Order: sequence, then C-alpha cells, then structure tokens
Amino acid sequence: MSDGDYDYLIKFLALGDSGVGKTSFLYQYTDGKFNSKFITTVGIDFREKRVIYRSTGSDGSSGKGQKIHMQLWDTAGQERFRSLTTAFFRDAMGFLLLFDLTNEQSFLNVRNWMSQLQIHAYCENPDVVLCGNKCDLADQRAVSEEEARELAEKYGIPYFETSAANGLNVNKVVDVLLDLVMKRMERCVDKSWIPDGTVRANGPLNPDSSENSDRNKCAC
Amino acid sequence: MACEKEIWRKIGEGFVQEYYNQFDNTNRMGLGNLYSADACLTWEGSPFQGRDNIAAKLANLPFKRIKHVITEQDFQPTIDSCILIMVFGQLQVDDDPPMAFHQVFMLKSQNCAWACTNDVFRLGVHNIPV
Repeated sequence: MSDGDYDYLIKFLALGDSGVGKTSFLYQYTDGKFNSKFITTVGIDFREKRVIYRSTGSDGSSGKGQKIHMQLWDTAGQERFRSLTTAFFRDAMGFLLLFDLTNEQSFLNVRNWMSQLQIHAYCENPDVVLCGNKCDLADQRAVSEEEARELAEKYGIPYFETSAANGLNVNKVVDVLLDLVMKRMERCVDKSWIPDGTVRANGPLNPDSSENSDRNKCAC
Repeated sequence: MACEKEIWRKIGEGFVQEYYNQFDNTNRMGLGNLYSADACLTWEGSPFQGRDNIAAKLANLPFKRIKHVITEQDFQPTIDSCILIMVFGQLQVDDDPPMAFHQVFMLKSQNCAWACTNDVFRLGVHNIPV
C-alpha cells in the first residue's frame, strides 16, 4: 500500500468523544463494511486508501487527476496518554470531527474539540468537516439537524449527517474534506505552512506553473 | 527442579501486582510511594523526574476508570543487584477500546526497601506503515 506511485500523501485525523464511531466510520470508508464490534487493532491506528482527485477550477475546467494516498488516523483513546501536541496531531492536514447524534454530550463536546484543534493543529483554522454520526438510529436521536447545522455555521465548517453502519455520507464527507484541503493547497503558492510530512508531493502540483521549483522545494 | 522462585522474580511480581492494583483501584497519588525520591519516568516520551512529579503526572491522567490486564511479565537481576522488569499487557480506559502497552521498571533496594528508580511507559500503537 505504501509504494511510491502517488502524487500526494495526505493525512486526515478523526476526532471526537469516545464511542461516537470514529473507528467504524474509517473502517466503513476504507473497507466499505461495518463492524459493530470494536476492531481491536493490533497496534496500527490508521487506515489507508488511494483515491483520484480531480480539481475543478474556478473556470469550471477539470484538471488532470491527482493520485492521492490517504492516511486516515484514528484516535482510539491514546490521546489521553499522549500530549495532543504529538506529531500525529500536528501533522494532520484535515480533520473529521465526529459526534454521536444519539448522545447530546458528544455534541456539546464539539466545542472543546474545536478549541483543541485551534490550539494544536498546524494553523488556527484548519479544514474540518463536522459529522453527526449514527443517523440511522433515528428513534434515539438527541441532537436536531438544525442545532448541529447552526454550530457548524458558527465555525464556518461543513456539516453532514452520517452513518458508519449503512455508509450514508461517509464517502461524501471524506471527498468534501479532501476537496477543501486540495483547494487550500492550490491557493497557497508558498507551502511553508504545510507541516512536515503531511503532504508529500511526488510530482508538481501544476506542471504549467512558473513557481514550480519553489513549490517542489516547499512541499517536500 | 524445585518450584521455588528466584527472590528477584518474587520481588518483581510483588511490585507489578502492587503497582497496577494501586493504579487501577486508587486515586493514584499513593503510587509515588513506590518510587525512589529521585526516580525517572518517561511517559509516552515525556520525562518526569522525582517522586512528587511522577505521582502528580500519574494522578492527573485524564480518565475516570482504568483497568490493566497483564499478558506477560519478565524479570532479570542486574549486575548491580537491581531488578529489571518488562510488562506487556492491555489497558482499558473508561469506555474506550482496549490498547496494548509496554512498561519497563528498574527496582533498587534502598534502606532495606525496594523502590522503583526508572519507569518507561509506551502504548503499543504504531504509526509507521509497513
């Protein structure tokens, strides 16, 4: 899985309270399956997937596909033992912030997670997608779509209702986050803001760009 | 061969049992008493020195409940009459899934009592793809 045939290595981190479904969400995304039992990972705390990203320019043109090697990092509780400033937190380029639609406390804690993000992520306004997970459990819902959407708007981040159990919006959320991150990269001529190791450009982002050499230097 | 255990093994096992018993069943402040005054702890790469600093670190870990399950423990006597211990096990915190951990202790006899002089803790979580 880690052969070098890709244009970008991008790391995303899933955050949120215990039990909101982070591991199941990532498992659904990478393997298209739901496992209601905890997958007791033997040490590895991330999952990987290859995707092709096609940027859509402001003129509506579709660029050539970029091969993305995605690493999706899980936090299965190890953040309680480590400082959140450890490399794996800092190195993430985008964040999936999950809460459980059937658990109001996990929704209230979204504010805490956002402030943690603002402190510890590579910049103060990293790309985040808010996910209200377990939307398949409609009869147990404790958080309304309106209040969740309102909170997301306050932070200026997209909101989706997801189900790791049936897969609803799971791919969509990761696609939206990837798009935000790739758009941010394209906007950023000087890539010095990119934390080391988060994006590994195996080739130039834009072969026609006159800033090519600078880009490669900064992005490596 | 007699089943009698070596003395260093008995001391080591006694320490491991007491350490995790206090860790799981108390407010963890008393754990400081198991360390020598100038002991060193490396907790997930962060260093702490001295009994008080170590006790404060362990007592302030952010969870309500923790349970350690020891899978294996190994002991060795050292040439300077200390005891080296490696513990390999799983822990579970609140409602989180279980995680593997490794912990290494060095015990030294000081003033007729055994105390931990060195402690290195790591979760068994890998972050480099194979």
